[in-house]
Amino acid sequence: MSINKDTIVAIFLLLFCGIMINSSFDIEDPGYQGMKASFWPTIVLCLLSVMSLVMLIKSMVSTTDNNLNSENTNSQNIFLKFKNASICFLMFILFLAFLDYLGMLIGGVLFVFGLLTLLGGFEIKKIINHSIISIITIGIMWSIFTFGLKVILPEGEILRIW
Amino acid sequence: MIDVILQAFASIVLDPVTLGLMFVGTLAGILAGAIPGFTIAMGVILTLPFTFGMTAIQGLATMLGVFVGGFSGGLMSCMLTGIPGTPSSVATTFDGFPLVRSGRPGLALGLGLWSSFFGGMISAVILVALAPQLAFLGLEFGPWDYFSLIIFALTITVSLSGGNITKGLIAGLLGLFAATVGEDEINGVARFTFGFDDFKQGFAFLPVLIGLFAFSQLLTDVEDDKRAKSPLMSQSGTVVKVEHRQAILIILKRWVNLFRSSFIGIFTGILPAAGGSISNILAYDQAKKASPNRSNFGKGEYDGVIAPEAANNATAGGALIMMMALGIPGDIVTAVMLGALMIHNIIPGPTFIQDEPLLAYGVFIAFFVAHFFMVGLQAFSLRIFLLVTKIPMYVLASVILAYCAIGVFALHNIVFDIWVMFFFGVIGYFMKKLGFPLAPMILGVVLGKLAELNLARATGISDDMLLFISRPWSLFFLLMAVISVIFPFYQEAKKETLFAKLYVPVSMIVLSLPLFLMGSPVRMIVAVILVLTGAYFLYKRTSSLKIT
Repeated sequence: MSINKDTIVAIFLLLFCGIMINSSFDIEDPGYQGMKASFWPTIVLCLLSVMSLVMLIKSMVSTTDNNLNSENTNSQNIFLKFKNASICFLMFILFLAFLDYLGMLIGGVLFVFGLLTLLGGFEIKKIINHSIISIITIGIMWSIFTFGLKVILPEGEILRIW
Repeated sequence: MIDVILQAFASIVLDPVTLGLMFVGTLAGILAGAIPGFTIAMGVILTLPFTFGMTAIQGLATMLGVFVGGFSGGLMSCMLTGIPGTPSSVATTFDGFPLVRSGRPGLALGLGLWSSFFGGMISAVILVALAPQLAFLGLEFGPWDYFSLIIFALTITVSLSGGNITKGLIAGLLGLFAATVGEDEINGVARFTFGFDDFKQGFAFLPVLIGLFAFSQLLTDVEDDKRAKSPLMSQSGTVVKVEHRQAILIILKRWVNLFRSSFIGIFTGILPAAGGSISNILAYDQAKKASPNRSNFGKGEYDGVIAPEAANNATAGGALIMMMALGIPGDIVTAVMLGALMIHNIIPGPTFIQDEPLLAYGVFIAFFVAHFFMVGLQAFSLRIFLLVTKIPMYVLASVILAYCAIGVFALHNIVFDIWVMFFFGVIGYFMKKLGFPLAPMILGVVLGKLAELNLARATGISDDMLLFISRPWSLFFLLMAVISVIFPFYQEAKKETLFAKLYVPVSMIVLSLPLFLMGSPVRMIVAVILVLTGAYFLYKRTSSLKIT
């Protein structure tokens, strides 16, 4: 018997199913005839629980797969492996958090510039390139959606005050 | 009928806006198909936000341009650099790249281009002929049959998406669950909202799709620091003059291969989840088996280029047949098109061609026209492709991530949708890392509400759950679902085991049962053929078994 990534995922999925099945008991029954609102999600969650259990058993029986003590799972490797993805996550969260203040135009330009610089490097030449790319691309996209497709993109408090 | 076709023709060919949009769409598709790391599905998904402001036919025509362009775009990179741009052009590399290296790049590109064109044309004819007939068949379906068909679409997606079947089923179920969040369409009751008002509207299809597919793919593309910073391709090839005339003559001389490969592509496209990535390899394999010059394959054999390229473009027509006739997406691309129709309040189903003939025939015509654009734009897009390949992936990924956010916002003008996209992007990224296929989850999200609606209709009409197995079509689809779930085990089983020997004949015999129950003479004949063929295989395979 071994514990590997799949074991942890299966346990997480079982917990998730438990919480959601519990939450399905709170789904209101308006008393109409026909299928209850909780019926279909309960079926899906029960099947999901069964499959998660199968995955848990298979992962524990398996001897080859994704062992947690393998070389790939040391902290330095994990950091390097997920560094760029983490930067994207972080930048996107910041972009969304400040969207109300900066708006889509300024926020978008800053997001693209920040991401380009963090992923591509901080050399002067690159920074100039990144700023040009971010202004031009977001400017074009913003114009297409605002003027071409008539979408009212978030203006942002900064532009509103200005 | 002729009136409708002429009107549809006019709405596409005589409308300069639609033609312009198709032009841009096809160009974008060729580029998306040519760039490694990008897929046709990604190209179509990213096109979707632009289509909100268009009419339904303009939106679909643009997406069809991307779809058709994408299949042929893959051949540029695989032939000129040896790196397939999309999974659907993997087999083209086997003979296309050697042919280029032997000093015939113009001919290689011409063969690929015109095979794609002819394959697409053949599938377009079949699409026009078959989709309305299949739709008539769909009119026989009740909610029980539809529910079972959706279950089959999900299970076959799981079994064909490769890898671990348990993980595939979990992914599909997660997709079905995601579709239940928010107010249910039958009773209007809030589900799994946890007190958040934003959750009441549920997760919109587009943010989930862009998150799961495009967002997670972009994160994967920039994962490797070194690869992210280097240009998309180290060898970007050179501009070559396509030898059109000679290529056409060679292809027409090998018409048997062309038709066989196209039909393989159409059939693969009709199967839910089996797309161009499977059809191009199947067609290549069949062309190799049937060729008298088998030893030349892998060294620049013409048939080795014709087969995969004809098959992958024909797949597009096959996938459209299912979407148009039954409202069931054959792959991620048609799932997106289904979503695009839903945005315009059009629900595809068996009555779609009858109810919306102008739109339906418009799709058929757009599919034809897109192939002409694809041929015309190849030389021009080759130059742009060579420029694009010099851009590092991190630049493209950063810009597209921002574009995803803007595009998703444009759907309902609410920031919540961007959060949904981000959330599903993170989920999609980690699911991929942990070996879960994403296609079943996407199909689960798309088909979840439809499955629930049909289940509610079925139980509303009758409490008798046995109807799911006593109605012939429903039984047929449920049996197909079981057979498709077992299929990966059959693939893994050794040929000499009893299970591997029995799988195909037993499946054939079992599938004949609902066909017998249907009663119509044609279906009875098909059922008899299935039983006889199954029995023959059963006899042949079991007679070689040694009883110990």
